[in-house]
Amino acid sequence: MGLVSGASTSRLGAVLLRRGAQGIGVAVLVATLCFLVVRQLPGDAALRIAAGRYGYDLVDAEAAAAVRSELGLDRPAWQQLADWLAALVRGDLGTSLVTSAPVREEVGYYLLGTLQLAGLALLLAVALGGVLGTLAARRPDGLVDRAVDTWVAGVRALPPFLLGLALVLLFSVHLGWLPTVGHGSSTTIVLPAATIAIGLSGLFARVTRDAVVEVQRSEHVRFARTKGLSDRVVLVRHVLRNAGVVLVPYVGVQAVVLVEGVVVVESLFGWQGLGHALVHAVFWRDVPVLQAAALVLALLVVAVNTLVDLVVLWLDPRPRGVAVGA
Amino acid sequence: MSATPTPAVLPDVTVADSRRGGPGRILAIVVLGALAAFALVGPLVLADPGAQDLGRYLEAPSLAEPLGRDEYGRSVLARLAHATRLSLLLGLVCVATALVLGTASGVLAAWRGSWIDAVLRAVSEAFVAIPALLVVLLFSALSESGSLLTLYVGLALVQWVEYFRVVRARAALVLGSPAVEAARLLGLGWVHVVARHLWPAVRPLLLTLASLGMVTSILAMSTLGFVKVGLQPPRAELGLMVTEAFPFHDVAPWLSLAPVAVLFLLTAGFLGLRHKEVTP
Amino acid sequence: MTALEMHDVVVTHAGRRLVDVPHLRVGPDRPVTIVGESGSGKSLLAHALMGTLASTLEVDGKVDIGGRLLPLAERGNRRALWGSEVAMLPQEPALALDPTMRVGRQVAEGVLGATRETARTRAAAALASVGLPGASRTFPHTLSGGMAQRVAYAAATVGGARVLVVDEPSKGLDPASVDRLAELLLRHVVDGGLLLTITHDLRLAAALGGEVAVMRDAEVLESGEAAQVLERPRHDYTRRLVAAAPERWRHPWQRTGWETTAEPLVEATGLAKAYGSQQLFADLDVRVRPGERVALSGPSGVGKTTLGGALLRIVAPDAGRVVHHDSLRGRVQKLYQDPALSFPTLVPIEVGLRDVVKRHGADPRRLDQLVADLRLAPELLTRRPAEVSGGELQRVAIARMLLARPRLVLADEATSRLDLLTQETTIDALVRGLDDDAALLVVTHDSALADAVADTHLHLSGGDGQDAT
Repeated sequence: MGLVSGASTSRLGAVLLRRGAQGIGVAVLVATLCFLVVRQLPGDAALRIAAGRYGYDLVDAEAAAAVRSELGLDRPAWQQLADWLAALVRGDLGTSLVTSAPVREEVGYYLLGTLQLAGLALLLAVALGGVLGTLAARRPDGLVDRAVDTWVAGVRALPPFLLGLALVLLFSVHLGWLPTVGHGSSTTIVLPAATIAIGLSGLFARVTRDAVVEVQRSEHVRFARTKGLSDRVVLVRHVLRNAGVVLVPYVGVQAVVLVEGVVVVESLFGWQGLGHALVHAVFWRDVPVLQAAALVLALLVVAVNTLVDLVVLWLDPRPRGVAVGA
Repeated sequence: MSATPTPAVLPDVTVADSRRGGPGRILAIVVLGALAAFALVGPLVLADPGAQDLGRYLEAPSLAEPLGRDEYGRSVLARLAHATRLSLLLGLVCVATALVLGTASGVLAAWRGSWIDAVLRAVSEAFVAIPALLVVLLFSALSESGSLLTLYVGLALVQWVEYFRVVRARAALVLGSPAVEAARLLGLGWVHVVARHLWPAVRPLLLTLASLGMVTSILAMSTLGFVKVGLQPPRAELGLMVTEAFPFHDVAPWLSLAPVAVLFLLTAGFLGLRHKEVTP
Repeated sequence: MTALEMHDVVVTHAGRRLVDVPHLRVGPDRPVTIVGESGSGKSLLAHALMGTLASTLEVDGKVDIGGRLLPLAERGNRRALWGSEVAMLPQEPALALDPTMRVGRQVAEGVLGATRETARTRAAAALASVGLPGASRTFPHTLSGGMAQRVAYAAATVGGARVLVVDEPSKGLDPASVDRLAELLLRHVVDGGLLLTITHDLRLAAALGGEVAVMRDAEVLESGEAAQVLERPRHDYTRRLVAAAPERWRHPWQRTGWETTAEPLVEATGLAKAYGSQQLFADLDVRVRPGERVALSGPSGVGKTTLGGALLRIVAPDAGRVVHHDSLRGRVQKLYQDPALSFPTLVPIEVGLRDVVKRHGADPRRLDQLVADLRLAPELLTRRPAEVSGGELQRVAIARMLLARPRLVLADEATSRLDLLTQETTIDALVRGLDDDAALLVVTHDSALADAVADTHLHLSGGDGQDAT
């Protein structure tokens, strides 16, 4: 047995190593992209940043120049990149050019909002998609399967912002059940989370359906049945776990979609999260916040995938090559 | 892989897989064809999409103006035609660039292996974890008024990695297969390997990825327009049109419905074009 | 102790009869083994008994099981008997075990309606009785094919089912594992159980004894005592089937004591290869001469295919070197276990063949000649590989290979997926198609096949104890 646990420890190590390397790669890539963005900021960007800070009425050339030197745009490129990466390693993300607050605190606050939203959305999506997919798989090509198929196709063709608008029109404007914008109370999270969850649920339903159908056809499920187990026991003990081995990595693939949805939906509903902060930072050219928000969002994708790998490791004892995932 | 399970004991495997082809695909082609014709011919025959006529503020649809006029009295139909053309063209250019880059690098990595494969894979590992919208958003911060060029570079940069990953995985599988080993032993050259083994295996995947890529590009552009960091007014763009029309959704619903419908038909059309879901 | 009886079993698909068996009786102390080629309907008969036939197939007839007379058309009526009264040992044990669950639990859940503690104890006892006392906490992927077979046996029988249905249990097992399997199955009979086995393996049928029934085209051609049917078959088809076993082959190309002093085509010295921590072979010298037929044999997973690949120089050994005679350049070919995987899957067969004809400047009539010699229907070539049967495709692969006029051929388990009759015609076609001075390497786990074909034997037994004769 020592051999088995030794093997699983080394698999754990391999996952963490791979994801760690990916995280570093992502950080360097995003940091470099951000750096290029700052380098290429058009002439009047400084003016716009200054306007963001002091208001359009009070801004003048002097303030703009101050901003420009604050960004260090006059120094050589490599020096700026090195500085920025070094600061990143120290965990120093600078201060917001708009609010003058430390970016770390600001991003920490926004991250919490994003995690709440993304977590709830993912939970809803997996629950909704999992249930629909499992129901559809009971009778392939049956009525439920076709209905779910239509749902999946419809949801798939709706971009999140249209879906969000539709939900707002229906539940807030026409029915008046739920608040549209805002942050904090427990009801304000419902619409944004539902928007993301509905979009994702279609994909999860599809993958769950296919995975469950495939597992149900597998030799080991048939054998489990002929051992005399009831359908329910076979489903819970054998089918779902093995379908999970296929389904869970798919959550990792969809992490990218999730983060994109978060960015759009936060802007749409004014939810105080990283996506909202990012869009504002782009609009106001608040470079430090822009960099930090982009970085954290990208790392969020890596974090979700790490989690996914660990769950797969727990679900599936077989050694194998690189797991599927983003 | 099970050897050959008695086929009669295993029913409906093919039934389930084949049901997503057929009439749905033909419908998708018809819808996309109609939209493409509208996008190509519309801008040539319709009025100037920028021509304002404040006297015809929110004019309701009529025979002469089937989609009415917007809050500046501009022809919605003309604006829609331009916006559709923009979406399709940008999508096409992005997809073509990403496809060529990704396929070439994918085949190269699978064929040559060793350090080329290792380097390309490491780069793709970083890229694949980065949401497209994020990169495009960053790129759109580059330019004051959200230029088309930054959108294009951003989208192509993000999308090549999909093609790379899928093509590399499939090509490595094909090139390592007994069939290719047999072809090599038989002395058949790389032309045979590409034409008979590689291309037939990769072609359907590319079609699927390209249609998904069109959806991604079109949606990314309209989403950025919608959150006001993409292309800027007064350009006719689908996402922008939805935002601009939203305040008037109860007095002039046609204003929002028109771009939403086009967006929906475009995405549904491209999604319907695929063979099957590809999970890389 | 009552017998199991099946009456008037008819399985049809779209009006075609796939099984038509008026009567079949499995008694205690008298196991029944059904033999036949694939497509003869023997597996369907087993599934009709279990109630696991696909819903697209129509089934009629009755089964008398434990004193109850059940109509076969109502599939659900046997469900309640699964595990407690009827059990099925699946075709591919490695696939029949849940890969995500420990072996002990999978056996324990076969104990129905008992407390968890009882189930666990009985599972441990069942595993111990099949010779795997410590396997309880392992996962299926760590088991060999033979071990997985024994775990599946424990899981299938732990529920106390009296009737055991076994469907093609010996696929991919080496002779030693097949013997152990027969022993295991006979133990069920000794314990008072009823045994119905479906197999194409005549050696397994002989080892099980009892009654043997020969099926072909949905019907039982003859049945009787195993020794009588297998030694003195009455029906012409059975006679051919029995004669197709490699140990009974009588072909003009078979020979004993063949020798040559010609310069070797392949000269390998000091070969070694390991996978992970497992050393497949080390310090191995092999010499292959023109016209020689060499068998590489040994249990599965021992490195036969790897050694063959190394001799062909398509697999790089860890140590040692392989020198090819100049005349081998571009004239080395391989036949694969699954011929479907050795053709481009997405283009018609003839497209790939035309590329070969063009590349080797062969006379197109030579292809037609080969197709005729190998008794292939020419219209087969317009189809894709997946649309042709394995036996036919293996012969197409032989034709393709012969177009290149090979001087060294590796046949890697090239007939292991074919039934006996097809195996014989395929091997015959292969040997006769080769030039006299061409060497043939045959990789097989079937020692009888190796004996029938080869002049020289290279037996890999795992570790580093290999011996050449």
